[in-house]
Amino acid sequence: MSQHVINIESRKKSLHYFFEKVVGPLGFKFTPDKEMMNFLLAQEVILEGRHGIPFCPCQPLRNDRARDMQIVCPCIPFHRKHFDDIKRCWCGLFVHKDVFDPDKLPQLPPKEVNNE
Amino acid sequence: MSERFIRAISAGEIAPGGMKAVELDGNEIIICNCDGKFYAVQRRCGHMNAPLELGTLDGIYLTCPMHCAQFDITDGEALSGPVPSDIGHEILPPFLGKYLQNIEMLMKHVRTESIRTYTTKLEAGWVQIRL
Repeated sequence: MSQHVINIESRKKSLHYFFEKVVGPLGFKFTPDKEMMNFLLAQEVILEGRHGIPFCPCQPLRNDRARDMQIVCPCIPFHRKHFDDIKRCWCGLFVHKDVFDPDKLPQLPPKEVNNE
Repeated sequence: MSERFIRAISAGEIAPGGMKAVELDGNEIIICNCDGKFYAVQRRCGHMNAPLELGTLDGIYLTCPMHCAQFDITDGEALSGPVPSDIGHEILPPFLGKYLQNIEMLMKHVRTESIRTYTTKLEAGWVQIRL
């Protein structure tokens, strides 16, 4: 990866701008929990600095390009069925547009909703 | 050296969201129309000198066409470095594989720098740039 000193706050702002355009039409929005949103975006900026790509901060990288590409944020299109059941994405950066208190959402593993 | 405004292009030459490259007094510059507000930045990418007007402008964010480094056109700040590419499982001829390895090794040492910005003003339908 090329050397580049990233200003975390500036990059967070631009990722927010780009992600919002993608997740809106998919029926999602940023979590209303601003502290969590800022924390998760900052982690993505750090991952982008390390790997060149803003991977989901809650998923492990497997050194398998095809699988790793499925956890590039926003990874909603790849895991849509599970996210629709739990009304949020795995790390919680995005929630369904009708969610106002993400803490009240149930945490259902993919097996339990039987669709992945 | 005294700074002066130079008439660059007519404001109607760039639609909102568009960019145009110009050369003014030996300076390669691109002018961006961000919803009617004009910004001017250096034409060459802060990573590997690719011509940025061939990239994409989305709001105030400019993406390089070569390795997708991104910049904020309001202050020229480099927001991200190059995005790594991957050829998947394709088996390359040995000479090509070695060549790409060499390029990759060299690129590890290339820094992504912020790009220079220029002050603009709109006067009588013309975009002027301070050099």
